Amino acid sequence: MTKKIGMYICTGCGIGDVLKVDDMVAVVEDEGTTCKTHECLCSDAGVDFLKAEVAEGTNFLGIAACSRRVNFDIFKFENTMVDRINLREGVVWSHSREKYPVPTQEQIDSDDDSFDEIQMLAEDYLRMGMVKLEKIEIPEGYKTESLSKKILVLGGGVTGISSALDAAAAGYDVTIVEKEDAIGGYAAKLRKQMPVVEPFDALVNPVIDEKIKAVEEASNITVKTGTVVARIAGQPGEFTVTFKKPGETVPFDCPLPVPEEQKVDADGNELDVEAVQEIYNQINDGREDLLSLDPDGELYGAVILAAGWRPADLDGEEYAHLGAGDADVISNAQFEEIAAKGKITRPSDGKEAKNVVFVQSPGKGDDDSDFGYAGSVTSMVSLKQAKYVREDYEDGKAYVFYQHMRTPGLQEYFYKGIQQDNGIFLSKGDVVGVTKNGSEFTVDAENTLLGEKLQVKADLVVLAGGMVPATVDDPILNLAYRQGPGFRDNDIYDGYADSNFICFPYETQRTGIYAAGCVRRSMTMEESIEDATGAALKAIQCIESVDRGVAVHPRSGDMTYPDFFFQRCTQCKRCTEECPFGALDDDEKGTPKPNPARCRRCGTCMGACPERIVGFADYTIDSIGSMIKSVWVPSEDDYYEPPMRIIALVCENDAYPALDIAAMNRLEFSADVRFIPVRCLGSVNVIWIKDALSTGVDGIMLLGCNHGDDYQCHFVKGSEIAEVRTRKMGETLQSMALEPERVAMHQVAIDEYDKLPEIVNTFADTVTELGPNPFKGF
Amino acid sequence: MSNQYLVEPCLDFVEQVASLGGDSVKKCYQCATCTVACTIAPDNSPFPRKEMIATSWGLKDRVLGSADIWMCHECGDCSELCPRGAQPADVLSAARSAAITEYATPKFLGKMVNDAKMLPLFLGIPAAWFALMAFITMTMGESMEKLFKGFGMHWHHHTDAPIASADFVSSWLVDVTFVPLLNLSILIFLIGLIKFVKDIHANAVLEGKTDKTDFNLVQYLVSVVKAIPTIMLHKKFNECGENKSRALAHQMVLFGFIGCFIVTAIFFVVLYIGGVAGPYDQINPVKILANIAGVGIVVGSFLMIKDRLAKSEPSSFKDWALLVLVFGLGATGMLTQGVRLLGYIDGLVGIAQVVSYFFYYIHLILIFCLFAYLPFSKMAHIVYRVAALGYAEYANRK
Repeated sequence: MTKKIGMYICTGCGIGDVLKVDDMVAVVEDEGTTCKTHECLCSDAGVDFLKAEVAEGTNFLGIAACSRRVNFDIFKFENTMVDRINLREGVVWSHSREKYPVPTQEQIDSDDDSFDEIQMLAEDYLRMGMVKLEKIEIPEGYKTESLSKKILVLGGGVTGISSALDAAAAGYDVTIVEKEDAIGGYAAKLRKQMPVVEPFDALVNPVIDEKIKAVEEASNITVKTGTVVARIAGQPGEFTVTFKKPGETVPFDCPLPVPEEQKVDADGNELDVEAVQEIYNQINDGREDLLSLDPDGELYGAVILAAGWRPADLDGEEYAHLGAGDADVISNAQFEEIAAKGKITRPSDGKEAKNVVFVQSPGKGDDDSDFGYAGSVTSMVSLKQAKYVREDYEDGKAYVFYQHMRTPGLQEYFYKGIQQDNGIFLSKGDVVGVTKNGSEFTVDAENTLLGEKLQVKADLVVLAGGMVPATVDDPILNLAYRQGPGFRDNDIYDGYADSNFICFPYETQRTGIYAAGCVRRSMTMEESIEDATGAALKAIQCIESVDRGVAVHPRSGDMTYPDFFFQRCTQCKRCTEECPFGALDDDEKGTPKPNPARCRRCGTCMGACPERIVGFADYTIDSIGSMIKSVWVPSEDDYYEPPMRIIALVCENDAYPALDIAAMNRLEFSADVRFIPVRCLGSVNVIWIKDALSTGVDGIMLLGCNHGDDYQCHFVKGSEIAEVRTRKMGETLQSMALEPERVAMHQVAIDEYDKLPEIVNTFADTVTELGPNPFKGF
Repeated sequence: MSNQYLVEPCLDFVEQVASLGGDSVKKCYQCATCTVACTIAPDNSPFPRKEMIATSWGLKDRVLGSADIWMCHECGDCSELCPRGAQPADVLSAARSAAITEYATPKFLGKMVNDAKMLPLFLGIPAAWFALMAFITMTMGESMEKLFKGFGMHWHHHTDAPIASADFVSSWLVDVTFVPLLNLSILIFLIGLIKFVKDIHANAVLEGKTDKTDFNLVQYLVSVVKAIPTIMLHKKFNECGENKSRALAHQMVLFGFIGCFIVTAIFFVVLYIGGVAGPYDQINPVKILANIAGVGIVVGSFLMIKDRLAKSEPSSFKDWALLVLVFGLGATGMLTQGVRLLGYIDGLVGIAQVVSYFFYYIHLILIFCLFAYLPFSKMAHIVYRVAALGYAEYANRK
């Protein structure tokens, strides 16, 4: 297919009023490219006009109008590539004529410097758009060699079963893997449970029995009990899974990476590649190679991780003041076990436990923390279990001392319903002591709703232990990934399986693996069932996306994928190690093996590669590099005092929309700055910065998401990696006799648009103070 | 740690308060909106939040022994604003009712009086008694006169009126019933009050609601007197926002009763010391006061009944019993007099006498109920509330 580029300038929305459109057309036509104008490209007439252009063979369209963030659905044409040149938000809305007036004829005629800064900005953006279109190609999508649409569910508890039922109902074949001998999980071991349907005001019988029955009746659900996963290899759409019995050792057990502490010698010096490889071989002796696929393995398209939780361990000094260690001071899980068997009795002597104190929080004084891994569910479990006491004994009394009574959503009705029981007594308070006198406990509480100090008698004390996600103890997944069998850096989520809780529920750091239920956070059954549906839908979305050869998430529908030019690869492994999603494996020599279906198309590998051999069809080192180089950098040959030129590489997920929002609010930016959207700051290759500086650009800024424990990066690590790279860049600059301040990175959240002008303009001022780039004009 | 902080919830108490109209107490989740809403709660240790949790925890002594429940005038601001549909005003009202039962001696009588099933018995006793009294008056007049003469007194109080209630039930018999009955009531009250004041003081000390740790009876009594103008003017009552109209109605009834009490006392003296028998002239100033007081009771209680009928939730037996009693007292009193006056019209004497006697009979029964059941019924609030508001004054609770 021959490439035919057309540039189309919209004069609506104030563009035509501010800019000299004829001059802009001339800029494009000077390059030999067609350029046409229209008064309103997004109108029906405008779209018809563009369609006619496409019909006449134009297949690469540069639409110089509004931001790419708007009207993207309107400017969409079959088999074409559309690039958007942001003249509206990026130029006319964010730069006013009050600040940047058109030079008068008198000024132009005089010898003094006079130039129209807004016009220069618009023309630069046009040049950048044009060169980009020249450099990019229409993507074709990535197809896996084989495709399985089967879904593997790890965990046969209420979450796994619900996921399986939902996926099966949508027409997908599902396999449930459960390590116990029967499915049902914890949900099958309860006396009663919290409500899952309206009116949400009382305990209900466990809902799991019906679900188990439904699983048995479903023709497209296979259940493997007494089974765990030995290895999951491959990528979404074609995961090869080896099963085994719990505790068994098989050749296809997942290979383990060399722990960081073993990669250094006794003096802390890094071991060489061969030595590390040796250790790796030792660790994985008897295991099949990472890249070899189990010929007897089963193929699955996606995996739902619903491995659940275990009760937290409550013994220890920390809880000594609560009487932990005494036979009659038990956890909520132990209490449930007793309740499921029959009447509530004391473990020590089997006597009836009519007075039961439920302790929600070990904290006291300023510390109001709950037990680790607790949550709203443990609040509600205490209410549930308090009700058991009342069910069993007419004169029973159940006391609940809490720091937080969490009953979100409609579960408020449950709280209210349980409260109605005359024998259930609730109060906020610090439990400061549990002492045993004979067979009876005295529980001392302070700062209660009934007064400073309070004392109650109890036969049994129940501690509201949390729900520790299974992923704390075991990777469960056993992924044959170079980065390891589980989730990386999972400790920042206290071991919960998650990548970004608010923005992308169910998503994990591993594409095609979707977490649901208590591996994500402590949940009630109602929440788990809902979560299960979400994960099932994500798994289906993943399989269908892989089938269409597009990215699943968060660049849903993106047909591009990273392409590696291996002849130039130096086996440095940076891409393999830096990929936030473990998409790359490597062979013994260290040559990367991409797994495009695992990839999220962030381009972190592209930013990492020192050889610059990674690129996407529409996003390459060259395309962005050429855009940077196409910016006209005026020198002293042009003007007595040439204006500064600053390139800003902007994360397109949060920072770029924030710039648009700022423009919509008519906040002004320095006209010296040219913004270039990038997929993620992780994709920024330092060569772009070097190229920019060598062409005389005076400063480069990177705008990306917040990173750290509360990161907002869509690709988990991108902005963090960019920060490190920028810091290293500073050292390089010094060696070039340039000020390190010329390169800066800033973190912005999408809602911080109001801070952006200050960040950008302050950087522009800093660069102005540093003076022009000494390389300018060379 | 001493045992003063040990709490042992009493499930029966929760049950009791619920049955007395406080069944919403368990809806409370302690947000304290009620306490903020209350215009008359003191700044230090305000109510009714703490009373709500103490009640739901079944802490009987803490609730019933608290003077705070008597500071509430049940305006309903708190109930109106409660985000959870709990009705603190009703809960405190139920707590007050439980407190009356708790402090009245003997307790079993208190429980019986507030039991609707016992109503026939409690009406039957005075009905039978006054039937007997009427029988004695109407059939044994001559013998009684003879008997009284022996002591230098008269059985008959002579009058020129065509109809006189004393001819139906002798004033002697009326007073020989009511004077001891009232005294007995006062005695019962005194026993209850001593314990009540002791308890509310102890509770105030425990909860830090008073600046005085020792109890000084004289100072306390002075405080009670000081509180009287506030009570008479319904100052606190008028601070309430919701259903303010109740204050006026209540004031009418209160003043009506005070008026009737004054009138009764004056006529008692006039009759037994002055020897002048009723019925008295309608233009007699005392009689005018009596009529104004009667109208006050009728109109006030009528307004209260209207108010209560407009309530969305049904009221308890004790509430209705008292309202009907008060209204009945006023109405039968006024009707007795009204119909009696018809006797001055020729030809109506016969029928007017029968009807007037009938109303008087009912009136006597109701007065009996008022006096006899006073320490056990809701009416007892007149004593406990005065004692508690006096204590609030004493404890400097603001």
